[in-house]
Amino acid sequence: MNLAFAIRTISWMVRDTFRQSLATKLFWVMLAITAVCTLFCLSITVTGETPPTGAGYDAGGFITPEAAKAIGEEKVKADGLKVLRGEVSFGFGLMTVPINRYKDDAVRYVLIWLAAILADTAGVLLALLWTAGFLPTFLEPQSATVLLAKPAPRWVLLVGKYLGVVLFVGLQAFVFVAATWFALGGKTGVWDATYWLAVPLLTLNFAVFYSVSAFLAVASRSTVVCIFGTLLFWLLCWTMNYTHVRLQAQPVEGMAGTAVLDVGYWVLPKPLDLGGVFYDAMRATGFSAPVPELDAVQKKGLFRPELSVLTSVLFALLVLLLAAYEFKSTDY
Amino acid sequence: MTAAVFENVVKDYVTRPILRTKIAAVRGVSLTVPVGSTFALLGPNRAGKTTLVKMLLSLAKPTAGTINRLGEPIAARATLGRVGYMHENHAFPRYLSAAEVLHFYGGLSGVRSEDLPAKVNALLDRVGLADRRRDSISGFSKGMVQRLGLAQAILNNPDLLILDEPTEGLDLMGRKLLREVVRETKAAGKTVLLVSHVLPEVEELCDDAAVIVAGKIAFAGKLRELSKGRNLEAALQDVYETGATR
Repeated sequence: MNLAFAIRTISWMVRDTFRQSLATKLFWVMLAITAVCTLFCLSITVTGETPPTGAGYDAGGFITPEAAKAIGEEKVKADGLKVLRGEVSFGFGLMTVPINRYKDDAVRYVLIWLAAILADTAGVLLALLWTAGFLPTFLEPQSATVLLAKPAPRWVLLVGKYLGVVLFVGLQAFVFVAATWFALGGKTGVWDATYWLAVPLLTLNFAVFYSVSAFLAVASRSTVVCIFGTLLFWLLCWTMNYTHVRLQAQPVEGMAGTAVLDVGYWVLPKPLDLGGVFYDAMRATGFSAPVPELDAVQKKGLFRPELSVLTSVLFALLVLLLAAYEFKSTDY
Repeated sequence: MTAAVFENVVKDYVTRPILRTKIAAVRGVSLTVPVGSTFALLGPNRAGKTTLVKMLLSLAKPTAGTINRLGEPIAARATLGRVGYMHENHAFPRYLSAAEVLHFYGGLSGVRSEDLPAKVNALLDRVGLADRRRDSISGFSKGMVQRLGLAQAILNNPDLLILDEPTEGLDLMGRKLLREVVRETKAAGKTVLLVSHVLPEVEELCDDAAVIVAGKIAFAGKLRELSKGRNLEAALQDVYETGATR
């Protein structure tokens, strides 16, 4: 089989996946979620330009303007207290929160919350759940037999379908990031370009775990197995990643099984570390991380983002190879 | 030149992987399908006919023996671009329209993109689905899906057309259309391999036949040699009984 035919076959499979996403309404469901988040961004107003007064952005040591007035300006200065002067309002003014940060930082906080918490965790898990049926449907014997009797090798069909789903999720991530970035930027005047790194990172995070879904689909042809298998695997990886990070942050002397944990950590994908990579990219170290132990590991200089990404990608490639081998060996 | 050659082909299916329980579906089949023939593959249910077809299409791997397809070993998948395949239970993706189904499968068969629109339109017209070309096939009857399956099978102008129980679900017009397609394929010097239980159709269309019983070839030769002037059903009954006791 020549390369041109392989590329053409993959493009047919990608196109088919997009049609499938439209027909199953998933395309529109994900766009609707993006629309809700965009509306949320449009509802945000940030006022105040208070610069940080102390060293760093620690959460403690700040007071409201009313409290500062009661204490007195001299004492506030003498005690090194920081006074909140800005406001972030959500829901078109329904809820207002005082801020002690630069306006830019307040906006960055919202962006991090959107990308790292909402999209990178809930979004990726929901995408894994919703796309879990794509491959089993494609592999149903009655529909697969005609497809597999075509000249394209099976691995090309599988890669085409896998890429189709990953590109679909990548497109949705792009639309999500673009819509929320423009909405928040337009509303606040703060344009943080590093937010765009969320697109490749979200897609990578999804692609790594979707390879497991692809393998389960080939091995079982069952949507239920794909859903539960992938979510359980994600949980296993998160637990392994968290335990490893925690032990790095707070080592326990003489603890047995650390070698096994090390092997597990380096072999399996690292969802927590991938979130850490995004945190680093967003220069978010001053904000409270979802997992404080990761902060501690980063401060100790033990965090190796490039190795975390590399090993996670290698894992996905290996699982895809296994899926291709299993698919090639299966009788239809 | 041969369209398909099976040499001592064996196929065992493992039904219970842990206990390694096997079912012998095909037991040492040797068979040649000549180019230009209209070849019937006959046999009772579960005799191994569909398994032979699946192995010929690289859908299942033989446990032992060798199979050639259009002069090449079955490992050479490129020859599948010269094969058309239609089976009894088509389940095309339900989110596609009739035209999209043909574009998709035609593209995967290696039909050039620039040729696809004209071919798709002509075939949809031929199988009587031109007015439903944009409709999702989720609303199609089984007969309509079968017609679409026939169009899909001949879209790449195949040298070897494999029809596995093709008349299942087809109405009178659909059956007539199928017979026309088989005759045209034969007239073009191409090969048709027909798996069917509809004996009048087999008698009308086929010259050569093989009868497979319990995974073994019980007869291979000209169809008229099989019937020997008798009713084909009675002749087959004899072969099934003889084959089963071998």
